[in-house]
Amino acid sequence: MSGYTEGIITLLCINAIAAMGVSLLTGFTGIFTLGHAAYMALGAYTSAILTVQYGIHWLPAVLLGGGVAVIVAYGIGVPTLRLMGDYFAIASIGLGEAIRLILENWQSLTRGARGYPGIEPYTTLPVALSFFVIMGLCMFNLINSHYGRSFKACRDDYMAASLLGFHTARLRVLSLVISAFYCGVAGALLAGFLSFIQPIMFDMLKSTELTAVVVFGGLGSMVGTLVGTLIITLVTELFRPISQYRMLIYGAVLVIIMVLRPEGIMGGLDGRWLAKKVFRRKDHGGTA
Amino acid sequence: MRSSVATFLQQVINGLSLGSVYALIAVGYSLVYSILLFSNFAHGGFLVIGGYICYVALKTMGLNIWMASLLSLVGAGIAAVLTERIAYKPIRERTNVTLYLLIASMGMSIVIENIFVIVAGGRFRALPPVIPTHPVQIFNIATTSAFDLLSFVVALVALGCLQLFLSRTKWGLAIRAAACDLRTAGLMGVNVNLLIAIVFFTAGALAAIGGIFLSVRYTLYPQLGVITIKAFVAAVIGGLGSLPGAVVGSLILGLAEMLAAGFISSQMRDLVVFSLLVITLLIKPTGLFGKQMSEKI
Repeated sequence: MSGYTEGIITLLCINAIAAMGVSLLTGFTGIFTLGHAAYMALGAYTSAILTVQYGIHWLPAVLLGGGVAVIVAYGIGVPTLRLMGDYFAIASIGLGEAIRLILENWQSLTRGARGYPGIEPYTTLPVALSFFVIMGLCMFNLINSHYGRSFKACRDDYMAASLLGFHTARLRVLSLVISAFYCGVAGALLAGFLSFIQPIMFDMLKSTELTAVVVFGGLGSMVGTLVGTLIITLVTELFRPISQYRMLIYGAVLVIIMVLRPEGIMGGLDGRWLAKKVFRRKDHGGTA
Repeated sequence: MRSSVATFLQQVINGLSLGSVYALIAVGYSLVYSILLFSNFAHGGFLVIGGYICYVALKTMGLNIWMASLLSLVGAGIAAVLTERIAYKPIRERTNVTLYLLIASMGMSIVIENIFVIVAGGRFRALPPVIPTHPVQIFNIATTSAFDLLSFVVALVALGCLQLFLSRTKWGLAIRAAACDLRTAGLMGVNVNLLIAIVFFTAGALAAIGGIFLSVRYTLYPQLGVITIKAFVAAVIGGLGSLPGAVVGSLILGLAEMLAAGFISSQMRDLVVFSLLVITLLIKPTGLFGKQMSEKI
């Protein structure tokens, strides 16, 4: 396998991990976010600083990167997610920008806007693939578990869910915390993949891209998120020469999908449905 | 000591001036929120459209500032109505999921910004010097620029006009009714589509005034619309959907930002904005003037 293909697949795995996190929050819990690149930034910088400055092995550093994202997400989630409506969306933009500004201005720790060089390239293809497989399996189990159904209940009818005894505010915070962990780990892996990180890499455009991937793939479909990541990452690579149109196309795709097919390309369909479909074809509809 | 008092006064004036420009943006955004209950992220796009129309009218069409502003207001208003027709109307007619509207508005915001990146290029442009910016002495204590005073006065006049429109006209009454309950207002015979078009036109025109002042203050570029985030934060501080809240929130934010820039460091001003947001959400989550949301079962 050539280095380029290997790089693309590694990047694909990293993007997919972050997108799964956002998908859990936006697609399954119904909370719109425009600041998840900030959690990636937290993961990336935590891992970079721990490995370079403190010489810690990369594996605990990556997990701690996710951990820092979790702590910040919890601190932000508790006051903002108790509210309904668009408060969280606005707070998430503010948080994203604030974290980027802190990273840019905390020169002594993060080396500021010039970026953080010399990170050990620990994210090889096997590492990225195994993270993707493990975290993917966890995510698919989570969304089909008791918790996954509770998240969906919060999304579909907040009022009914709380009347049924779900602790909706706590569930929303839990969903945010898990999604922040996924983004934090993805950011930490990205730092190890690129060996160089800069605060500007995690700006609002990156957050928008994460949300765009999830919407494109289909809200409430984890398979759709993966398909969306695959398509968007490959299309981005293919259309690198016309990159100035990339954001325009993202924006137009968001609008067109919302107008024509808000459920996205795979909306409402999930792994189980696919499996059933394949099964049925095999035994000619023998099982019901 | 005298110099620090002078700095303080000067930053207060600058803050009120900046805050009043935020207020123009935040009020339009809050107005749309009060009717359709979603955050219109494309609002920043209207501001950029207004700025560019004014630039083109002044630079290539050679109009005077009054005609250019009028053109810019009408143009941004029409752009806002078109945005609603293209992106939001099909969604709101089919579902009542505000998340879809939110995502579509994010999409429109990216589309508008990048149309300007492609058509006008990413470079920074300065409006021709048609708005006076010479320094003005106030009671020999503080110095400020004529521009700051002008933007404060214009913003006050525009907000006053909006207040008169909402409180004294038939359509103003309809808008206030729709803010309580859009569906019931429709049942009472209000033409909902026309009402929403009027609301978007007003929001777009107010954003255009803000856009002209911001492009004089910071020069004009496609990403200028990002500044609307501060207007959104101001609207949340004041209470989402409340117009007086949006104005008060904007003034507080403008003051906080300018005082932080004057006394701490200019890099801290954006962090101050966000800290204010978090503090508000922690202490009084619905904002200063927010309605206590009671859910109907």
